[in-house]
Amino acid sequence: MQPTSTMNEEFLKKWQMGLQMFRPSIDNASVSERKRAIKLSADVAMASLRKGTTCWSRALIQKTATEDNFLVRQMLSGIKEETLINKKLPKVMCHRKIVRRSKKILMRRKSRSAMEEVAAKAKKLVKRKTQGLRNVVPGGEFMSNNVLLIQETLDYIVSLQTQVNVMRSIVDAAEAGIER
Amino acid sequence: MSNRRSRQSSSAPRISDDQMTDLVNKLRLLLPEICERRRSDKVSASKVLQETCNYIRKLHREVDNLSDRLSQLLDSVDEDSQEAAVIRSLLM
Repeated sequence: MQPTSTMNEEFLKKWQMGLQMFRPSIDNASVSERKRAIKLSADVAMASLRKGTTCWSRALIQKTATEDNFLVRQMLSGIKEETLINKKLPKVMCHRKIVRRSKKILMRRKSRSAMEEVAAKAKKLVKRKTQGLRNVVPGGEFMSNNVLLIQETLDYIVSLQTQVNVMRSIVDAAEAGIER
Repeated sequence: MSNRRSRQSSSAPRISDDQMTDLVNKLRLLLPEICERRRSDKVSASKVLQETCNYIRKLHREVDNLSDRLSQLLDSVDEDSQEAAVIRSLLM
């Protein structure tokens, strides 16, 4: 599960499209406004790669839309993700099978009182760390199911790696081009 | 976040051990530091989760830094110069 060259190309195209929309303002804007434009376009480009199939990408699009609704609509126009801007985030999923299985395990563990404390401490630690994860993954606060959270995290990381790789290549190339 | 939700989830562990192990292993493969350091199979889940958080934050900082550099570049370059054309051809 690594970023592919297709992902890189798609991201670059979408990011370029977003920057083109900012073009008039980029030339006359302050450095911080430019940075904001660059970053927002990059985030929307990254999120739109997933075509609305993941929770984090929908959450990121919604979040960016609150900061710059016009940009997001422009970048997504013509694609069905446009409807995502107003779409509600998914309700918390709680797989019944997993909960039933977990309850069985918990009932078994209760009879072994010696191990119970250790298990409880480990669980608390994991709970705290997954909460930390929820804070960094977009839409994480809506994922109370840990399986979903980690699946989303995996996908989010691969997408972030794509974003970073492409942006780094562009910036390096631009800096090299200027120094010559 | 709602009270109902937290009461529901605190009554039982939310995932089975097998699923957690499987997903944690996948995370390990993505995280560069853990890939290199650990050779044993048993890595604590909380450690992997912590490293994941750190890695995501690091990626966020890098995006921020790259956006900074790019906006500085656009700023430092004269609009009609050749350098500006270089950047424009890359980006737009």
